[in-house]
Parts: sequence; C-alpha cells; structure tokens
Amino acid sequence: MKLKFYLVLVGSFLGVQITKAQMPHDAIYMPKSTACLAVSYGSSSWKEYWENTLKRENLNIGTHTTQSVMPMIAAGITDKLNVIVGLPYVSTKASAGNLMGQKGLQDLSLWVKYKMFDDGGLSLHAIGGASTPVSDYVPDFLPMSIGLKSKTATGRLLANYQHKSGLYLTAHGSYSGRSKIKVDRDAYLANGKMYNTDEVALPNTTDAAIRIGYLKKAIQAEAFIERNACVSGDNIRRNDMPFPTNNMRMTIVGAYVKFQPKNIGLNARVNYVTNGLNVGQSFGYSVGLLFQINNLKF
Amino acid sequence: MKNILKSIVGCIAFCIAFSSCDKTVDEPITDAYIPASLDLGAGSWKTYILSSPTEVPIAEPKTASSAEYLAEIAALKTTISTITPENKKAIKYWGAGATYRWNEIARELSAKYNQPPASNSEGKYPVPDAANPLADPRFPFANPPYVSRALAYLSVAQYDALVSAWNYKTKYNRKAPSKNDAAVSVLLPVSDLPSYPSEDAVVAAASYTILVAMFPGEVPYLDGKLAEAKNTRLWAGMNVPSDISAGDALGKAVGAKVMAKAKTDGMAASNNQALTAGMIENAKKLGIKTPWASQETPARPPMLPNFGSVSTWNFDKAAMIKIRPSIPYLEDTKEFQDDIAELNKINKNQTREQSRIANFWADGPGSYTPPGHWHRTAANAAFDAKFSEVRMARTLALVGTALMDAGIACWDTKYYYYTPRPQQFGLKTSVGLPNFPSYTSGHSTFSSAAATVLGSIFPSKSAEFDAQALEASNSRVFGLIHYRIDCEMGLAHGKKIGDFAIARGKADGSGL
Repeated sequence: MKLKFYLVLVGSFLGVQITKAQMPHDAIYMPKSTACLAVSYGSSSWKEYWENTLKRENLNIGTHTTQSVMPMIAAGITDKLNVIVGLPYVSTKASAGNLMGQKGLQDLSLWVKYKMFDDGGLSLHAIGGASTPVSDYVPDFLPMSIGLKSKTATGRLLANYQHKSGLYLTAHGSYSGRSKIKVDRDAYLANGKMYNTDEVALPNTTDAAIRIGYLKKAIQAEAFIERNACVSGDNIRRNDMPFPTNNMRMTIVGAYVKFQPKNIGLNARVNYVTNGLNVGQSFGYSVGLLFQINNLKF
Repeated sequence: MKNILKSIVGCIAFCIAFSSCDKTVDEPITDAYIPASLDLGAGSWKTYILSSPTEVPIAEPKTASSAEYLAEIAALKTTISTITPENKKAIKYWGAGATYRWNEIARELSAKYNQPPASNSEGKYPVPDAANPLADPRFPFANPPYVSRALAYLSVAQYDALVSAWNYKTKYNRKAPSKNDAAVSVLLPVSDLPSYPSEDAVVAAASYTILVAMFPGEVPYLDGKLAEAKNTRLWAGMNVPSDISAGDALGKAVGAKVMAKAKTDGMAASNNQALTAGMIENAKKLGIKTPWASQETPARPPMLPNFGSVSTWNFDKAAMIKIRPSIPYLEDTKEFQDDIAELNKINKNQTREQSRIANFWADGPGSYTPPGHWHRTAANAAFDAKFSEVRMARTLALVGTALMDAGIACWDTKYYYYTPRPQQFGLKTSVGLPNFPSYTSGHSTFSSAAATVLGSIFPSKSAEFDAQALEASNSRVFGLIHYRIDCEMGLAHGKKIGDFAIARGKADGSGL
C-alpha cells in the first residue's frame, strides 16, 4: 500500500532535466523485501528564459518542450534502507526556428536512502546518490541537449515530521558534485576565457526544499517549494545560447498527489519556475503509474 | 544519537570532498624552445605593406662595451633578482613565443566578440558601433569575414615588423645580455639571435596596434598584455630595456602602416545592405528560383553582403572573378533533388559520428570562427616544428592572407548566386544556421585554402591537413546547412585561392 517514492521531473534548466531532482526526497520507505516500479511521463515547457538576469523570449525557439518517460524502481533492502534506480528517455523540441530536436536515453541514477533516527513522528534521513550518462548524447547543443552528460554524486540530509493526523512537514538540503565532461569541439569560451581543450568543468550544485502535505492510507497530497542552484559558473552572454558551465539557478513551486488504493496506483506532479538565472521559466507536469511488488528475495 | 552525529559529519565531509574536487581542465603544454633555424637571412624577405625592411628607421644601439649598455646590464640584474612567482608564470606563458601568443589572444577576442546582435523592440537589429564598442550590441560582431580580416592584418603586421627587425638584428648584431655578460641569469632558452631590437617587443607592439583597432573595447586588457609581454623579457634576462624600446617603436610604426592599409581596403562598405536588391535580381536572372531569405524571426539583414568587394591579398579582382565557382544545380534539376535527398536522410537519422563532425567544426557564435580554427592549426604546426618568430609569422601571414582571400572570394560567390539554404526546404540543423546565402560553403573554402597553404609549408603533414579540410567541408552537410555541391565547389575554390598564397611564398626570397 505504501508508495515509497515519487518520480520527479522538475522544470528544466533550459530543457535539461535535473538528474538529482529525479531522486526521492521523502521520508517514506519500502518495507524489507518489497519493491515499487513506477513509470512516468513528464512534459516541461518554457517560452521565456533568463539570459543572465535578462528575462526574454526567443522568436527563433518559440516554445521549448522537454518530454520524458522514466521507469524507476525502489526496493526495500531493510525497513530502514532503500535503494532507488531510474533511467529516463528524454526528447526535446522547439516550436519555432530550425534547431533540431534531440532524443535519447539520458542518465542512470542510483540512490540509497537510510533512516538514521525516528522517534515521536520526527525522523532524520541520510541520502546518497550517483548518476552517469548511459548514451553518447551531445551535451553542449543547448537548449536542445537532453542533458549535461556529467557524472554526479549527491549527499542529502532530510528531516521529516509526521503528525498522527496525516499532516507532515519535510525539509532537505543537498550538495552535488559534477564531473568534468567532454564535448565534441576542442575549444570553447567560458568564464570569459578561451579554453583550448575538449574538457569542460561544470560547477557543482546545491538544492534545498520544504514540503508540506498530507499522507494517510491511499492518499498523499503535497505542496512544495524547491531551490536549485549552481555554486559557481558563468552567465549566458548577450544573445548567446546557454553552455554547460552556466550558473543555473531557479526557484520552483509545485504540488504532488498520489493515490494508490491497491498494488496499482497513480501519481501526478505539477511545477512552475518562479524565478531563475540562465534557465527557462518552465511549467511542467508528470503523471505516473505505480506497481507494488511484494515478497522479493534479495 | 551518536550514529546521527556520525552520519551528519559524514555528509558534511562528503560535501567538502566534492566542493574541493578538481575543476581544472587539461590544456596543451607550451614550453619555450630554441628555434630549429634562426633564419638570419629573413631581413631581406619580401614584406606585404612595407616598401622595404628599412622603411621604418631604427637607431644604431650602444655597443656592448658602452657605459650606457653596462648600466642597463647592471639594472637588469637588479630587476631579475626581484621577480615574483607571478612574474615567473608570465615568463613561462610568453616563453611559448610572441607571435604564437598574440595570435592566440586575437582568437580569444574573436570568440568573445562573435555574437550576432539581438533584435530590439521594433524588430530591428542595431548595427554595432565602433565608436561605442561596449554598448549593446558590442562592436565588432566578429563573424567569419571579420575574423579572417583581423587575423590577416595581425599576421601581416607581425611578419612585416619581424622582417624589419631581423634586418636590424643582423645589421647591428648586438648579442643577448647573457651572451655579453654570463652573470645575467636567464629563465628562458637563449639562442644566438642578436637581441636588438627585441623581436618580442616588435611583435607585441605591432599586434597591440592592430588589435586595439580591431577590438576597440579591449584597450585596457590589451594595455595589460602589452606591458606584460615586454616586461617578461626583462624579468627573464632576455633583453635590456633599449632592446625593448627599439622593438616597441618599430612594432608600433609598422602596425600603424598596416592599419592605414586596412582602413582603405573597402571593409567600411562591406555591410552595404542597399546592394542586396540588385543581387537578388541578378540571381533570378541566372535562374535561381528561390533566392536566399533570412530564416530568423525577425528577418535579419544578411552578413556583410559587400565583403566580396574588399581588397584581396594574393590575387586581383579580375583573377577573383575568373576563379569564381560556376553556377550550382538549379532547383528543378535531378542533381539538386539528389542533394536535398541526402540532407533529408541525415535530417531523419543523423548518426552520432555525423553530429560529432558537425560539432567539432561548427565554429559558430562564441567561437573564433573557421579562420581562427585554421590560424590555431597553423600556429600549432609552426610551434611543433620549432619555427623562429619570423618564420612563424611568415606561416601565419601566408595562411592568414589566404583565409581572408577565401572569405572575400567566397562572399563574392555567395552574393553573386544568392542561393537558398536547405532550411528554406524544411530541414532542421544541429549546429545553427548562418544568416547568409548558401553557395558556396565558407567552411569548405576557408579550410581548403588554409590546408593547401599549410600542406606546402609542412609537406609531411599535407595529407593530414587535406583530410581535416575535407572533414570540415563534410561537417556542413552533416550539420544540414549546406548542400553537397556547396561543399565540393567550395573545396575546389579554396584550393585555387591557397595556390595563390603558395606562389607568393615561393617568391618572397625566403627560399622556403
């Protein structure tokens, strides 16, 4: 009955799905020897974006849309230790101009969630994650690229208070390291300097969120605010396209609902970027189908 | 509770570990070298703009035994004894070679200024203003023709100034400070090349003079580079101040003469948009059914429609018209349909190898453009071959003038035929669409011209350069912005243009 994670396809960094946002960020666990498979479809679009701090539209892009399909599986190793694996297929398109849409399998992510403390409704969790690209997609044809192709490692602390009434409050913060990437060209301009190499260093990222919701029996409903921000990076130059080194930042508000009366359930999420830097002001939604599997042997 | 603390500490340690992880990227190492040949006869090589190597006079230096020179040596020793780690870093950087570094600086500035203006609220594209270079849009828009020209004048100024410097070096024959006084400690390899005037100061001053004219918003940056370039020669014990000041004066004077030539080459009229109506009429008469039209919204005026009238280096305008590629396949021919079919196939199923090649050679906005790409290739080949400053500059001048000639002749062709881009027939692009007519491919023309010249200078690498030019040419089909015929004819055109530069090089008295 318990759905142990959700699938998040948060708004876009100019169309690029944030891998770390695909990870679970709740205080719910699959019991030992059970697993949940979720398959979700997400779509996220923007018409306006922040070129550095300038909010603008681009008549040669029109509306930019990122769609994705992601299977994800969460498994209870013990009641206090869960493992979550996901792999999205992503496609991009622009409604105007002539930039070719991109599509392909993006990054495989693996998350481990551990309950460190649980007493009187208050719990504390340590979450670690890693992701790696599984296909040879082009990371620097932004905003059409399906991802940034970096390997990432994330550390997250999450605190949760669950009241008997079903109301809960969750807060978490994370830091992600991002590896250097290789691009097809062997020279590029970033940070106001010419680099004569095909290696590109990406800034690391942080995120933080607060969620308030209701969780009882088959129903979960939640409202949230999230902040994603690179710790450094450069800005999109005037009238230029984005580049993986950009300092991408955004604040997202959204809502999430889940209904799973039996082994099969549904979830849905909407999210909207309220402000940002070097990202699109996207509105996104996703819907998912959930299947619980019991009596697994590990 | 203890476990929680442990976990939290673990998380924090994880964050620190990641926040401090290595973000430096590997770039090629460039160490100073003793040239394979000092090219002591270069003082009589044929110059481009100077009427003779002595057109700019340089006073005879004080002798090595003079009180003035001995005082300079004494002061130099004091200077060397006080250098900082920062100074040493600068010495190492400039030790790679003056021509090499100034070419690299020019490529970086080209990339920084290679951005098409944004449209304003009235749907117009403001033209960059040289008198107000840092306003939006910044001046210049360093597009491929602009960069081909900036780098050509840079390389020509460096070459002419160095030929003149070599003339005075061998005439006055004042040795390097450390050859006159073994107690002068040096931080770079010292050759037997006479040190008056300083070749590094000559190149720095000539380059500075060209670059402040080409990139007028970068004066403070270039001031810093000029001062540092000259100072490193003192810090490293390579030159005394009188070597530097003589070189600086020579470089500035030659640079000014080269820029005076640049001012009269017709570039000022290159963006004459009033000519396009007549060009379109001409193309229609030739049988072009769908003339080129901007695919941007709002429609952007085409890039430098009159660049074809700018003065060429290695051939005259009659020769340019004579080698202009013949008319491409017209829309209703089978050949044209075959070219479109090839593009449609790629549009539907572009392979990763095709996109890799398209991306590698794209050199679009924010890059140093194809002329910059080939300058880099030329500079690296000359560096690997341990060329002297003057031979490095000769290489870049031959390649640079060929690239500018390629730009002019290609732009002449483009606006003569005014043919449509594949996007006017519904194709997408994986690299971005240039805003000017299709036929012939600029990448193909630039690359073939440069590869032809480089193949002549480095015969053992000729096949490698040709293969690169072919790949650059193919990249435009793979990126879906050119028909096959644009690329094939561009390659053939570029070869002819390169041959003119080779002929010039064969007749410049270098014997190379």
